[in-house]
Amino acid sequence: MKASELFVLVSIIVFIFSLAYITSLGGLGQLPPVNVRLLAQRYLELTWNPLKPFMSSSGYESVTAIVWDFRGLDTFFETAVFYGAIIAAIAIYRGVKITGKGRTTGMSPIARTITRLSIILIPTVAASIALHGHLTPGGGFQAGSVATVVVVLIIMVFGRKALIRKGMTKARILLFRSLGLLGIGFTAVAILLAGIILGLNAYIFQNQPKPFAPLGFPKLYDGMILGGSLLLFNLFEFIAVTAGFTLVLLLLSLGEEEVRGVVEK
Amino acid sequence: MLLNALLIFIGEALVAIGVFCDLAASIGMIRFPNFYTRLHAATVGTIGGAVVPLIGVALMALGADWLGNYRFFLAGASIVAGILILLLAPVGSHVLAQAAHKAGLASHEPIAFDHLEEDRRRGEKE
Repeated sequence: MKASELFVLVSIIVFIFSLAYITSLGGLGQLPPVNVRLLAQRYLELTWNPLKPFMSSSGYESVTAIVWDFRGLDTFFETAVFYGAIIAAIAIYRGVKITGKGRTTGMSPIARTITRLSIILIPTVAASIALHGHLTPGGGFQAGSVATVVVVLIIMVFGRKALIRKGMTKARILLFRSLGLLGIGFTAVAILLAGIILGLNAYIFQNQPKPFAPLGFPKLYDGMILGGSLLLFNLFEFIAVTAGFTLVLLLLSLGEEEVRGVVEK
Repeated sequence: MLLNALLIFIGEALVAIGVFCDLAASIGMIRFPNFYTRLHAATVGTIGGAVVPLIGVALMALGADWLGNYRFFLAGASIVAGILILLLAPVGSHVLAQAAHKAGLASHEPIAFDHLEEDRRRGEKE
């Protein structure tokens, strides 16, 4: 055994033992105080609770309920930050012509055939993650990230120009992203708007009816759990995230010579 | 039920085959001499060590009466995942091998014959 191999082995063993030692010394710190654990208990209790309709959310999945209902405003601004970054990327690439003209080589026929299959399969999985997000682990952002894999595959296997020739132009992706963001914004204020029109009390980010605010999104349809605003938020976030990531990947896949002429102006 | 017991036994046998394939693949990953043979070992690990046990899990789930209706979800998900890996893993190996061969980054030795190189030379002549 060489000295370098021995060094790697010894450092791995030292790392594992020191981690174990630090953990046993109390490396996790003090346990959270009892009132913080009570908050977690409340979240679990109120995610789906027909006995307390004015306090509970509308889905089985407590992570989605926390993210889009209990702290929905926070997630809204997180989404805004994410899209701020994407808008900055678009602003840097302004004026760069993205065309689908020219030859693309791509990979071998084996890779192309199987990619054509997975182009159908992956969005199916993504849609199930998004539309089932209020019942099982998942949600809009995760589903959007899964759907973006299709774009990576198309860029790698068929080439970026093939993506544009299939109709995924920059303008169209921007349209989808705007549609998703508008949907999120509209879902956030939909109950408030309805309340103003009907002359009733209502809140922003309202999902279920509250005391003195009788409007709310439908919770059940024909015995099926709809999830109220959670379903809509997941759906629109799915569209917006997919379009945003697609746009960034499209811009990043541009060659240096195509971009340099515009950026250096 | 005899059928359920049979399904569970067959499933367990398939999982055992998967364990053997995974072990063989991990030994191969360490012991094989060059990139292409190690890629072969990796594919043994994905097909023999992931697809076969997934089919086994599906059979076991179908035989497990006490799971109720959930056994069909489990079996369906396992079979779909197995078929997907069966389709995708060989393509991944194929793309990796092709890229390594094209770039000439991986050592070919020891080698008996290289059909791809012969084809490429013939293509260059014509």
